[in-house]
Amino acid sequence: MTALKMTTRRDFLKLGAASAAFAMTGGSILTQAREISFQSGRDYSPTTGKERKAVPTACWQCVTRCPEIGFVEDGRLVKIGGQPDSIRTEGKLCAKGQGGVSQVYDPDRILYPLRRVGKRGEGKWKRVSWDEALTELAGRLKKLRDEGHPEKFMFHYGRMKASSSKLIKSVFLATYGTGTIGNHTSICEGGKWTAQELTWGGHYDNWDFDNTRYVLNFGSNCFEAHTNHTPVAHRLARALADRNVKMVTFDVRLSNTAAKSSEWIPVKPGTDGAVILAMCHEIMARDLYRGEGEAFLEFCKVTNAADATISEKVAALKAHLAQYTPEWAEKISGVSAGKIREIAVEFATVKPACLISYRGAVAHYNGNDTERACQMLASITGNIDNPGGRCKAVGASWKYPKGPKDKPKSKKLNILDGFKGQAAFPTHHMSHQVLKMIRDGSAGRPDVYMWYCYTPVYANGNVQENLDILQDESLIPFTVSVTPFYDESATMADLILPDASYLERWDWEDMVSPNQVAEFYLRQPVVKPLGEVRDFKDVVCELADRMGFPLGFNSAEEFVRESCNMTPGVKEAGGFEYMKAHGVWHDTNAKPRFYSYKKLIKADALNKDGVILDQATGVYWNWHKSKAHSEEEAIAKGYTHTKKSYKGYVAQKIGDAAYSGFKPDKVNKSGYLELYSILLEEKGFGPLPTFMPIPEHQNMKADELHLTTYKVNVQAHSRTQNCKWLTEIYHDNPAWINPVTATARGISEGDNIKVRSPLGEITTKAKVTPAIAPDTIAISHHLGHWQYGRYASGQKGPTGTDADQELQRKWWSDYGMHPNWVIANSPDPINGQQRWMDTVVSVSKA
Amino acid sequence: MELNWGMPVILYLFLGGLGAGAMTMSAFTFLRSGGGGFGPNYFAEARYGALLAPLPVMIGCGMLIFELGSFHAGYWFKWINLYMTINLSPMSIGTWLLTLFIAISLAYAFTFLKRDASPDDSFEPMRKILAWMALPVGISVAIYTGVLLGAMPARPFWNSPVLPLVFLFSSLSTGVALILLARSLFGNSAVAESDHAQSSYLLSSTDTVLIGFELLALFLFLLFAQLTVGDVGHAASVILFGGTSIQMYGMNLAATFWFWVILVGLLIPLAIELRYVVPRLLHQREFALPRVAEFMVPVAILIGGFVLRYVVVIAGQVTGPIGI
Amino acid sequence: MSKEHKSSSQSRREFLKKVGAGTAVAAGTALLPETALSQTEERKVQYGMLIDTRRCIGCHGCSVACKAEFDVPLGFTRSWVEYVEKGDFPNVSRNFLPRLCNHCTHPPCVDVCPTGATFKREEDGIVVVDPDVCIGCKYCIQACPYDARFINPETGSADKCDFCFHRVSQGSPPACVETCIGRARIFGDLNDPNSEISRLIATNPVSVLRSEQGTEPNVYYIAADHSDEHQAREGQHIRVTTHRKQLERR
Ligand SMILES: Nc1nc2c(c(=O)[nH]1)N[C@H]1C(S)=C(S)[C@@H](COP(=O)(O)OP(=O)(O)OC[C@H]3O[C@@H](n4cnc5c(=O)[nH]c(N)nc54)[C@H](O)[C@@H]3O)O[C@H]1N2
Ligand SMILES: Nc1nc2c(c(=O)[nH]1)N[C@H]1C(S)=C(S)[C@@H](COP(=O)(O)OP(=O)(O)OC[C@H]3O[C@@H](n4cnc5c(=O)[nH]c(N)nc54)[C@H](O)[C@@H]3O)O[C@H]1N2
Ligand code: SF4
Ligand code: SF4
Ligand code: SF4
Ligand code: SF4
Ligand code: SF4
Ligand SMILES: [Mo]
Repeated sequence: MTALKMTTRRDFLKLGAASAAFAMTGGSILTQAREISFQSGRDYSPTTGKERKAVPTACWQCVTRCPEIGFVEDGRLVKIGGQPDSIRTEGKLCAKGQGGVSQVYDPDRILYPLRRVGKRGEGKWKRVSWDEALTELAGRLKKLRDEGHPEKFMFHYGRMKASSSKLIKSVFLATYGTGTIGNHTSICEGGKWTAQELTWGGHYDNWDFDNTRYVLNFGSNCFEAHTNHTPVAHRLARALADRNVKMVTFDVRLSNTAAKSSEWIPVKPGTDGAVILAMCHEIMARDLYRGEGEAFLEFCKVTNAADATISEKVAALKAHLAQYTPEWAEKISGVSAGKIREIAVEFATVKPACLISYRGAVAHYNGNDTERACQMLASITGNIDNPGGRCKAVGASWKYPKGPKDKPKSKKLNILDGFKGQAAFPTHHMSHQVLKMIRDGSAGRPDVYMWYCYTPVYANGNVQENLDILQDESLIPFTVSVTPFYDESATMADLILPDASYLERWDWEDMVSPNQVAEFYLRQPVVKPLGEVRDFKDVVCELADRMGFPLGFNSAEEFVRESCNMTPGVKEAGGFEYMKAHGVWHDTNAKPRFYSYKKLIKADALNKDGVILDQATGVYWNWHKSKAHSEEEAIAKGYTHTKKSYKGYVAQKIGDAAYSGFKPDKVNKSGYLELYSILLEEKGFGPLPTFMPIPEHQNMKADELHLTTYKVNVQAHSRTQNCKWLTEIYHDNPAWINPVTATARGISEGDNIKVRSPLGEITTKAKVTPAIAPDTIAISHHLGHWQYGRYASGQKGPTGTDADQELQRKWWSDYGMHPNWVIANSPDPINGQQRWMDTVVSVSKA
Repeated sequence: MELNWGMPVILYLFLGGLGAGAMTMSAFTFLRSGGGGFGPNYFAEARYGALLAPLPVMIGCGMLIFELGSFHAGYWFKWINLYMTINLSPMSIGTWLLTLFIAISLAYAFTFLKRDASPDDSFEPMRKILAWMALPVGISVAIYTGVLLGAMPARPFWNSPVLPLVFLFSSLSTGVALILLARSLFGNSAVAESDHAQSSYLLSSTDTVLIGFELLALFLFLLFAQLTVGDVGHAASVILFGGTSIQMYGMNLAATFWFWVILVGLLIPLAIELRYVVPRLLHQREFALPRVAEFMVPVAILIGGFVLRYVVVIAGQVTGPIGI
Repeated sequence: MSKEHKSSSQSRREFLKKVGAGTAVAAGTALLPETALSQTEERKVQYGMLIDTRRCIGCHGCSVACKAEFDVPLGFTRSWVEYVEKGDFPNVSRNFLPRLCNHCTHPPCVDVCPTGATFKREEDGIVVVDPDVCIGCKYCIQACPYDARFINPETGSADKCDFCFHRVSQGSPPACVETCIGRARIFGDLNDPNSEISRLIATNPVSVLRSEQGTEPNVYYIAADHSDEHQAREGQHIRVTTHRKQLERR
């Protein structure tokens, strides 16, 4: 049968294009098609066959920030694909990354600066020019600075990394002079980092799935989430399938990670610590630490003596762990003693084995010691910083323009770390307490509160309180939201500065490599910024000029270009131009970095001026870099008790050798991996990891349940619900509830249920499933928007447009229910981590 | 639940069958009277059938076009592509068949058009030829609607050789019903009672037989479906009580089927007709169908015929293969 | 301009067909474009996909890749992932079953198409729809035992997975394959005994979906979970969700 040719214009064009493309690509068809490459990094128009323009850039849908390629057709970004040249992703890209196209074309994007008219929170806006907006803002900021109160300008960021962090924080804010800079790490996984800082120093553990033979997982959902998701997930999938690696996952619900594990072990919320300690108990009791574990103990601090022998360390461990029997742990965690023994033995005998943990383990009252216990378990089995184990992170270290030399000594309001005594070591602050601190006022209040890529209303617990405080103009005179989208927090702003989406921005990036070889990569605009939006990094350059302290560069692009051209390696490769063309670079000669702590430190480094040996800890440190005023003072106070002494850390003395050891960060710990922490001891906590029962969980009523929250594979935080392709897949977040629990309450699938906590009550739907423990319900935190545009909430943004045809095709009208209305803001007493997973609720049919 | 084929297709299947049935029965009456079975009034019935046949079919086809995705996307005339090829797709065959049908039925109708059309006018020879053509084409169209649905293993509910028969009998009886209805509405009382009775007896009895066959076919259809385990059994259960209940536009599918199709559409008309046919058949009594029944019976049959298509089209789409 | 001229003599269908030729050529040793088509006759290609569900993590990378590649309108899917949840706490499993058109060897969708708009390409066995010819009668949608088709509201034409032949024919893997986090999707020529897909199929137990339909799918699965809600035993928990507008599997 012959094809009919309809002579509508549309078809004529299509036909023309088709053959043109065919003619154009004809040659390449014959050459390339011999083998269909597995990873091509190319894309073609399905209607014309024409190759689409490829722009190497980097994702930003989640913190992983994968290198990626934006594909442009007729000036429009149509598709995002993986970057085949990336050693981290090997060309893979997750659903969220690909869904990012909508971040540019969201019909509800804010396209020009908005100034509040009417009362704060009323939702009335007027369009203003950038000049008006920045004149007002610069005016207010300059006034504060001139009056000597730069600290009254509070800058609070959520996601701000790499060049953005350097340019905005290290250069702009530092030159301005405010130290009142908040982040979101304490509502993220900050507690895990503090626990690591207390044990092995600088935070972040990379999991070497390429070399491991066994994976033991406490509360990581790395197949759906994780801060290094794609790079790690594709490797783990490969390990499980190709090398039959066994994986055991402890989780309170059957996450997709648990589902893909060899074994899912449900555990009572917040009791992982008990299980891990019991495993340590078993391993020590059976002398399974022998071999790698025993050898590694040389680099561990297990008693308060700096020079304890291995056998003393072993004895101390056995003594401490004696109390934590599997039977004891069974009572607490619900995991049978037999199972605990079985897995302990496997983990100790299969080498190398990788211990992984994430927010499920740490976002609790006792998260700090759970993570320390993880470090202990990995240490006594010799699975620290080794091929196939739990490794010290390796990321790209960029050079960058530092801006003006003469930066003022920054001042700050003491509202970042919560109330006195709330947490002993809030090394990543307590963002969830900031608004409370502002209301309290005793530590002062900011005049200008600006948030950037952060939604204080939505991301923290106790949403209603957040709204009330932000709305109160008497508490905060001026609020500024920097965002491309009209989120729940932006409704509480006086001024909204529309940021460019990440696909319209410049950045250099540095996220951790899963294979221990640093990857340098670039984010560059795939398309020109829509409307009047501006990259906030460009905006701060102008603000600095307006306030009279030019930064020495005029744009993010310039900053990135200079960085590329001054960073060793990248520079030689061809600098900025190379990075623009290729997107990624890594040193092909670099060896994966393992056992970094074993590096010996040369004598001359130890003999440098100011370097002294601290007898108590065996630390060589340079007192000049600390807050000590004299060598005498330094010696008198000692390493542990001199302010900021860790900044002077040089080496750890072990035996007669000086090793680079486990370099401290943020706290004055030694160069050992400190299983025994004098710092914690002095604050009245157990020096060795202990199990701290969660107060709220001790006397729960029979009908009360644990509420836990989690992430799903196709949504990131509260940030991707405007991405139509993602929200089409996941737009409702019913509460997971076990059939037994549901039946007991007369609840059946799809019923409306009330979830009540001391804070209040939400009504949501029930998803009755055996994939969750009977004592727990789980609600994902992504959904339940009441703003953020039509795809996310049905609400049109203040600058929303109606051209988007797809809006008519949006077929869902459920937007879910946000759990943070009923989750309180309360910290882990050691590190200030927000306790997302500790909430106790009662559930009934609505 | 969204349906790919909705009301337009349901109407098309109904109207197509109706027109086909009307033309077939018209030709049947017309030709058979040659043997003198019918009174002189036969011609009037044949005429009703002939004149009524084309319209429903043409409307039905219009409905089809209305359901086309291309039409919805604004390509009004893309359906012409149907004529760019002929292949073994039931729909392709059906397209040509329907076109042929429309042509013949129009021509056939034309021969009856004149008010004073009569067996001994100049059209008669042409009329006969067309009638002979009308029979096979009419029957084919009636059967085809069932084949269209039946051709797909992916739709277990439809995928039965009996379905075309069900549709055939339903078409014919609705065809008769249409004629009876037309007559009860426009029937000229000038005609002698005896003639009237004579022909209505023959029509009714024919109809009775058709309904009987349709019931039988439906019985077999359900029986086989019921007896089959897996896909088909599961599919059929949506029109059986105690089966998988499916709500469509707020109405339970099984209930709709049993009440409207079986009871209203078949059993009641059958009962009434038998009530009058049997006496005459056995005891040669005078056949006199009350005029109100002459109106009600066909209406009931037509309703039944429509709801049958409705239920079948929906049941076929809300069920599918089970297992993966 | 002369190109323009040639082009008008070339319908999308020729693009559909011809682009494929290149790939077919791939099999043989291609010298000149002229020989390309003759080469095609020599050994036919049958493209197929093997989905190793052991590797699939249910991430929807494929679902979104496909959406973006073709800008598939909301409410419709060429590619989707079914979640199959089974068992009772704590012995619960969740398996993932990625779905797409099977490019059947005996495609009922082709058999019922009254216009010939949908056809199986001789050169590589990909089942495609020519939107210029399709009238949107939906017969193929009814006939497909895998619910793989839909009417694209933009074109008014039937639409479905076309194995990304516009990429494949130019040496790139299908969009969903390229991005697959688990490397669970293997694409290649089933007629080439040395292709990765052929080797894997030869050395692993594989299955196809709804084999009883006699369609002979060219999408194979390793360790596919074939359980279906409709076949659950009394009191056995099986839930299949598709994340499509049509939540239940059809
Ligand atoms: N898709 C997606 N990926 C993301 C993000 C996202 O929003 N979406 N966000 C990124 C960011 S910033 C972060 S911090 C990471 C977070 O990455 P993860 O921490 O891996 O993800 P979460 O869902 O926060 O929590 C992990 C698991 O903890 C389980 N859990 C809850 N309570 C307990 C418990 O008491 N014990 C145990 N063993 N498990 C428990 C939850 O059921 C959940 O499956 O993900 C990053 N990647
Ligand atoms: N219940 C519960 N709550 C949680 C969690 C949980 O597991 N359970 N997870 C916590 C975790 S891990 C984290 S990291 C936090 C994340 O908390 P946040 O970082 O505050 O949340 P995000 O959704 O990542 O981004 C917040 C805002 O950034 C803005 N934004 C989006 N894109 C851009 C951009 O390109 N530029 C700028 N300037 N702004 C942009 C949007 O307005 C968005 O509302 O949430 C925490 N909240
Ligand atoms: S993991 Fe996904 S969302 Fe996160 S950066 Fe990578 S591609 Fe983007
Ligand atoms: S992309 Fe691959 S791993 Fe992810 S769901 Fe699809 S098939 Fe499975
Ligand atoms: S899966 Fe469906 S659409 Fe695809 S070839 Fe087979 S029958 Fe046709
Ligand atoms: S919808 Fe298009 S492709 Fe499908 S059968 Fe009809 S004409 Fe053929
Ligand atoms: S092969 Fe192409 S069309 Fe088919 S599912 Fe994959 S991406 Fe979609
Ligand atoms: Mo986070």
